[in-house]
Amino acid sequence: MRSRRRRILVSLLLVEVLVVATAVFIIWAMRAPPNTQAFLLRVMVVSLLIFLAILFLRYFTLLWFAYLGHTERSVMGEKRARMLSPISIIVPAFNEAEVLRDALRSLSRLDYPELEVIVVDDGSTDDTLLVAAEWEGRQGTVEFKALTKSNGGKAAALNAGIRASKHPFVFCMDADSMLESETLRKAMQQFDDPTVGAVAGNVKVENRGHLITKLQALEYIEGLNLPRRAQGFIAAVNIVPGPVGLFRREALEEVGGYDTDTFAEDADLTLKLVGSGWKVVYEDRAIAWTEAPEDWIDLVQQRYRWTRGILQSLKKRKGLFLYPLPDFPLWLSILEMGFEAVVWPILNVYAHLFFALSALLFGAGELLLYWWILLTLLDLVAAFVTVSMEQESLSLVPYAFAYRFFFILFLDVVKTFAALEELFNLGMGWEKVRRVATS
Amino acid sequence: MNVVDLLITIVVVTILVTIVLAVITYVAYKLRLSRHPGDDLLTNGDLRFFVPYRPTAPEEGSVTHAAQA
Repeated sequence: MRSRRRRILVSLLLVEVLVVATAVFIIWAMRAPPNTQAFLLRVMVVSLLIFLAILFLRYFTLLWFAYLGHTERSVMGEKRARMLSPISIIVPAFNEAEVLRDALRSLSRLDYPELEVIVVDDGSTDDTLLVAAEWEGRQGTVEFKALTKSNGGKAAALNAGIRASKHPFVFCMDADSMLESETLRKAMQQFDDPTVGAVAGNVKVENRGHLITKLQALEYIEGLNLPRRAQGFIAAVNIVPGPVGLFRREALEEVGGYDTDTFAEDADLTLKLVGSGWKVVYEDRAIAWTEAPEDWIDLVQQRYRWTRGILQSLKKRKGLFLYPLPDFPLWLSILEMGFEAVVWPILNVYAHLFFALSALLFGAGELLLYWWILLTLLDLVAAFVTVSMEQESLSLVPYAFAYRFFFILFLDVVKTFAALEELFNLGMGWEKVRRVATS
Repeated sequence: MNVVDLLITIVVVTILVTIVLAVITYVAYKLRLSRHPGDDLLTNGDLRFFVPYRPTAPEEGSVTHAAQA
């Protein structure tokens, strides 16, 4: 408890240091001689140009690759899975009694010849195990099973489910996600290529009743699925998302399943697969609907953990950063993951803060305004293209204004703090916790 | 104040306010953690599993079939 308080105090101290440093910079810049101010202005213009170059390169690379991936199917024609091998579905669940029924109901409606569903109760204190047990037995083509174990975390629960499963393909999902009936058939098509080890599906936000969830719905499409679609074109997806991932058992066994030493077990497993030479591809029609946080603090909490988890996965492979060979796909995945999860958000915060201060201090407001309008237009175009690709409602596109206006910057500030905390190796409060005290 | 100046003011104020709000929300999250250490594990769907686990015994031993439980 004391160490937790100390960590939190250090985090707050970090915030204070950054705020004070910004204030000192403002005061210094305002009192600086004209020559220094002119120099700062030049620095600002050069920074702006560099930032714009990176930004354009990022957007157009992602959009171009995503477009190529999207059109590839229409040019090559619709693929049909040569075989529909039996699949084991693993559903880890901790205190999920309220949502588990819906998830299992969606699984019972899947259009697939032979399925085994294993619900792994991770030491829940509610009725999760009872709900899972209610569903035990065969329903049509689906055989439901329930396992229970002492609480040990999601990765350990998934590993337990994988070990207890029997089919040659394993589908991992979250207990609060729901699949579309065609999801498994579409994902399975990708395994006609024997070098494919995993298929990342398409996660969509189900609850869209509030501004915060509408923005997340757009973010999932534009900010998360766009890079994944682009990565899929070169068969180098670097995160198979937790709610929807189909794996070849052989690949999972080769890499030893999920590691339990990071907070982003899905990213970590994907990097292990890529590092073992397996292709990881994306299937946009393999859809899972998930519930997004409806509260700003919960959202902060989620993104904080995601960022730190990804950084932990990257830190495990820090020795590879400087060596593109012999494993170029892994190196590329690591670099891309680091850029999207950490470098780009920090750069975005820095740029916004720097340009806003420059506008205030040096009167470079017009430059800032045109830069901001350009960014917003780019986001609008990206939103329009990606929403169209996903055949989603175009009513989401106008939210790109709010997305640029504050949402992305808000999230990037949180990611920046999470990255700083991971950089300074501040604990997340779990080193001494062996199990969740649920009883 | 012309339209351009007005837009500049809106953009600058929005950027600064967003950053300040993000910092405040982050601090609120940290304070919530300090007051209710278990909340992050129990209230948010994404977080309930984020507890590293280093088993002392083989995992298979802890898994039991629900029907037998």
